[in-house]
Amino acid sequence: MKINPDQLAENPFWFYECFLMPMPIGKKAQNLRELLQALRELGESVLYYHFFQSRLAIAQPAEEYPNEFALWAANALQDSKLAEKLSSFDPFDYENMAQVRQAVIDILEDYLWDILYVPWARSGFEFQFCEASNVVMRSQICAHTLLEFCEGLRKVGLDAIYYHFFEARWRLGVSKVDDFSFWIETNFGLPKLVAAIRGIDIYFYSLREIRNTLLGLIHQHLGELCERTQ
Amino acid sequence: MNGLNDYAPVVGQEVIEQLQRLADRLGRRRLIQINSTRTGGGVAEILSRAVPLLEQLGLDVKWEVIHGDQQFFEVTKAIHNALQGHKVTITPAMLDLYREINRENARKFTWEADFVMVNDPQPAYLINFLRPQAKQWIWRCHIDASRPERNIWKFLQEIVSQYDASVFSMPQFAQSLPHLQYLIRPSIDPLSEKNRNLSPAEIRKVLDRLGIEQDKPIILQVSRFDSFKDPVGVIQAFRMVRRHTPCRLVLAGGEATDDPEGPRIFAEVMEAAKDEPDIQILLLAPDAHHEVNALQRAADIIVQKSTREGFGLTVTEAMWKGKTVIGGAVGGIVLQLRDYNTGFLVHSPEGCAFRIRYLLHRPEMARRLGKIAQEFVRQHFLITREVRDYLTLMILRESPNERIMEL
Repeated sequence: MKINPDQLAENPFWFYECFLMPMPIGKKAQNLRELLQALRELGESVLYYHFFQSRLAIAQPAEEYPNEFALWAANALQDSKLAEKLSSFDPFDYENMAQVRQAVIDILEDYLWDILYVPWARSGFEFQFCEASNVVMRSQICAHTLLEFCEGLRKVGLDAIYYHFFEARWRLGVSKVDDFSFWIETNFGLPKLVAAIRGIDIYFYSLREIRNTLLGLIHQHLGELCERTQ
Repeated sequence: MNGLNDYAPVVGQEVIEQLQRLADRLGRRRLIQINSTRTGGGVAEILSRAVPLLEQLGLDVKWEVIHGDQQFFEVTKAIHNALQGHKVTITPAMLDLYREINRENARKFTWEADFVMVNDPQPAYLINFLRPQAKQWIWRCHIDASRPERNIWKFLQEIVSQYDASVFSMPQFAQSLPHLQYLIRPSIDPLSEKNRNLSPAEIRKVLDRLGIEQDKPIILQVSRFDSFKDPVGVIQAFRMVRRHTPCRLVLAGGEATDDPEGPRIFAEVMEAAKDEPDIQILLLAPDAHHEVNALQRAADIIVQKSTREGFGLTVTEAMWKGKTVIGGAVGGIVLQLRDYNTGFLVHSPEGCAFRIRYLLHRPEMARRLGKIAQEFVRQHFLITREVRDYLTLMILRESPNERIMEL
């Protein structure tokens, strides 16, 4: 389907910015059993931080593991098998944090059941639990057309990419639906582009790469349109 | 002095605009920053950059410094060391002096503010006298307080508990306190004398002055000569490397004058480096920022083989210069370096030697890791991020019970 690059959307897209302030809660786990116990007891905001928000707080480029628990298993416990199990755990498969909590507890309980020793982290490598507060602010960047959307995507900070693409998948509660593809779908249709955007595996891209991938996909689908924003 | 817009080519225009939007929400809020020195040390370095930037963003900012005599600073140094876990003796008379000097300083401060940010323990006691003069009191701890000496922490805990919030640099430094604790990671200023770009001629000039030849690859460690930085371990690693590959080692830094073990460690370093022309030991002045910058840029590989470390800003500085860093797997170095990604973590002189050899033989890998490291620093550890965190913190503190504030 061809689209006029200047076609107006029914609803403009407002880019939001998201400023995260991590808050250490002063609790730590030295071994796997302590991690399990903490996951049973700590608030959902703590789980939410370590599964989602930590990605915005700090993330190594080209990180091998998709969440902080898997990373800790690999780097601190040096338990590759557990790290593998935790890497394939996807919180987006669940509807709420209670289910996420139960699922990760199940993985750890199963794992501990089968092993003869409890893996320990060396001193200094304990798992430090945090939660976060968030300031979410409507930026002054707004798109009425796909052309303006591409321009906006280049202008906003990476936190906006996190907010609209990563956190939105959880906030909207619909599998793989993010703010960007939702806006394109409801305003312009473009099912192939929408499917391609929803097909991005967010665990294997940094926020910067996600921005470039999105621009690349739009470029690919609407070639001429995006070239005009270069 | 650099202005906010000078940072745009480094961090991107969008980051600068974002700071402005955040600051606009705060308007002309009054912020007082208090510490104990205007020059020297990491805190003064950060404040000397952050305060003008916050002012440019429209906040009403004042930087106050408390004054004390040598005796007072001996007491606060002892408190500082005790917070880092050293065994030190602090008598009741010393604590009385601490309180008294804070009381004297408090008399001079007549401002009223929306936020007061008190840096480290030296001025922490001011809250006892000045509480009504500000709406929010925030204690900003820059020290590695992960294992503080118990009695001193109990003394300080009573003071800090009166604050509305505290801020630590790493989650492991957080303590049991009756208020919310936040995490603001340290940062470096990319435009400062220590980090700005240098021309090859500027670098050459410094090396000539310091008598360092560039005929072999240079391995560099910049740090004080204290036991936690393990300079002797670096020399051991260098000797292992030298059996295979020619290279030069430069150990540059200041004397640890406040460390009772300082002279002994320095003597050990000199002994370990004896009869080895390819090891150069440089004693630098505390303000030799330009020299450190040039050395880091000239080095092929940078080592920070600490056995204990707070955050490790020397690692951040080296990464910012696109260098591959080999660091001890401790403190904040663990957060910054990841094997084959942003650098290498090591646990022993042998490990350090092995990684040096690897990088000497794989210069293309060293370049690749250095490039990734530089981008990692650009995103997370530059002063603009720290300023953004201060602004965010102030906005959040106005509704401290809300976890998500939608503006």
